[in-house]
Amino acid sequence: MSERDAVLAAVRRNLAGVEPPEPGVAPEVRIPGTATPTERLARFRAQLASVGGRVEVARDARVAAALLRDIVAEKGARTVAVSDAALARELAAGLDGVDGVAVACDAERAFLLEADLGLSCAQWGIAETGTLVLESERERNRLVSLVPPVHVAVLQAGAILATLGDALAAVRRPEHGAPSRAVTFITGPSRTGDIELTLVVGVHGPKELVVIVIDPEESER
Amino acid sequence: MSLPTHHPTSETFRANALAALADDTLRGALQRATGTLSERRKAAIAELPEWDALRARARAVKAEVLSRLDHYLEEFVARAQEAGATVHWARDGARACAIVAEIAAGLGRPTIVKSKSMTTEEIHLNEHLERGGLEPVETDLGEWIIQLAGEMPSHITAPAIHKTRGQIARLFVEKIGSEPTDDVQELTLAARKALRRHFAAADLGISGVNFAVAETGSILILENEGNIRLTTSLPRVHVAVMGIEKVIPRFSDLELFLRLLPRSGTGQHLSGYQSILTGPPPAGGEGPAEMHIVLLDNGRSAMLREEVTRQSLACIRCGACLNFCPVYQQIGGHAYGSVYPGPIGAVITPQLNGLEKTAQLPFASSLCGACRDVCPVEIDIPRLLLHLRALVSEGRDLPGFDGTVPRKRGEALAFRLWAWAMTSPRRYRAAAALARLGTKLGLSRLAPPVAAWRAARELRPFASRSFRDQWRELER
Repeated sequence: MSERDAVLAAVRRNLAGVEPPEPGVAPEVRIPGTATPTERLARFRAQLASVGGRVEVARDARVAAALLRDIVAEKGARTVAVSDAALARELAAGLDGVDGVAVACDAERAFLLEADLGLSCAQWGIAETGTLVLESERERNRLVSLVPPVHVAVLQAGAILATLGDALAAVRRPEHGAPSRAVTFITGPSRTGDIELTLVVGVHGPKELVVIVIDPEESER
Repeated sequence: MSLPTHHPTSETFRANALAALADDTLRGALQRATGTLSERRKAAIAELPEWDALRARARAVKAEVLSRLDHYLEEFVARAQEAGATVHWARDGARACAIVAEIAAGLGRPTIVKSKSMTTEEIHLNEHLERGGLEPVETDLGEWIIQLAGEMPSHITAPAIHKTRGQIARLFVEKIGSEPTDDVQELTLAARKALRRHFAAADLGISGVNFAVAETGSILILENEGNIRLTTSLPRVHVAVMGIEKVIPRFSDLELFLRLLPRSGTGQHLSGYQSILTGPPPAGGEGPAEMHIVLLDNGRSAMLREEVTRQSLACIRCGACLNFCPVYQQIGGHAYGSVYPGPIGAVITPQLNGLEKTAQLPFASSLCGACRDVCPVEIDIPRLLLHLRALVSEGRDLPGFDGTVPRKRGEALAFRLWAWAMTSPRRYRAAAALARLGTKLGLSRLAPPVAAWRAARELRPFASRSFRDQWRELER
């Protein structure tokens, strides 16, 4: 008997005569989310701030590129690793000619492991928790968002969803319902409390997380 | 890494607990930690008026999946295989360890990084790999600390909760040659530096699984540190080890469990990172070229038989019952002599290993019910404890085990006598008269079994005249 058959047979033997519970005993619980885009952005910003992340708002890619230059200067980053997303590359192009800063798009692992700052997009945001959602099939974002000590993520304001449930629905592809091979939820910088429950950031992943939200209506808000 | 040295076992629980009670450093660390974690949980759920509805729903979803576990397992496996994952089945820990060792052997002598996983602790995977000459490195900060110290985790979500910063600093000086410091930030950064070297060289990453989605073949793993993301994205091969009870039916069910687990465990709205992995990336994609999933039974299928034990499989390993348990708060995790400590450990450990060597664990509780009240999936732990106590008092082992269960002979004899006396009016009257006489003479202080029982309890004196006697007088 194969291991598979042995385990399944043991499960079936022990479940003999067990009936599934009546459906509808405890219905699905819907948690209401924030209603308007303005509220969602405000909530996203507040929630991210509460876990040590920071939000900057830009009305377009040009302003976002200027913000990125400022962040690179502020952090003193000498090497910047960029994902393969078009928008991330566009923003990184603004770093061309900045003295002493090396930029590599879709870089080799060796460059990534030594990079001071990683730049990626985020496909979605979650207002409820201040969370970024990254889909591997939309962008090579897994390492660039994780390995360098500073992560800068670019997010469209319109992609900020209200709830966790909205985000889980959004990452399923319409053709077969499966999500990307790797979907990553990020809420704030890397953290630990393993020594006396004292919070320390940057234990394995980024010590700092900055989200640049591109919001075309920024000037009106 | 050295093999773990001496560990207390479940068999000597009572002695372990007494030793822990005498350790003031340990108790101070435990009180701070469990106090902080339970306060954080209270604050987090106070913001969520739907909390009890969510718990009821989670309990129902788990009951549904466990009642048809064969069906959901097959669905999960089919979807995971379609996504390109290689699925392995293991009826026990030894076979699961052998599967992982074989995958490792296929990589030559791989550098192995591991993220925190209770299931791999349960099957002693590290010891197995170390016997084969491999050196798996735990990368969760707390797990790494206890691996360096050669200890077992003492808490489900905070494995090094029993250690002070001073102890950890001395350990780092001795084991990794870091500078002596009492600064937690510096200690953590020393760990980051040391562990980054292992990550950069890693060929094989071993992780656990928090939830496995039948509908899509996805696994979800939660964390705060980022070491799980590194473990599952840097090495060439990823192996995820999971108990068969980790399956949930629908992708959308993740919302429910993601609302319950972080709030219960650490009081967070959401843990820092969730990785949802559905097969390995396509060729040329970022991440491991191979993804293996090991499905482990190891006694779980036997828990399905009875409704009372089946609910143990609903556990999502949040650790809330530990933080709220008045027993755990005083003695910590090591006394239980098992990778699963606290109230949930006291019911799961006997079911995984049989009652022969764990018979003291179901008695490690005052039955106050705090564990049941905080459980995010409404597991009735006191009922399970009573179920196991009944087996011990009858000297019976759990189904599937045939150990010699050390009966509580004195108690069993006392209850048999009690039953004998209570089932005849004549014997009852005689026993009551004897008890009144005992009270008068103060015998309860003399008899050794009663004295032992009384050490932690009040014995109410028997009334000098029984109700029956008084009633008879009134009728006259």
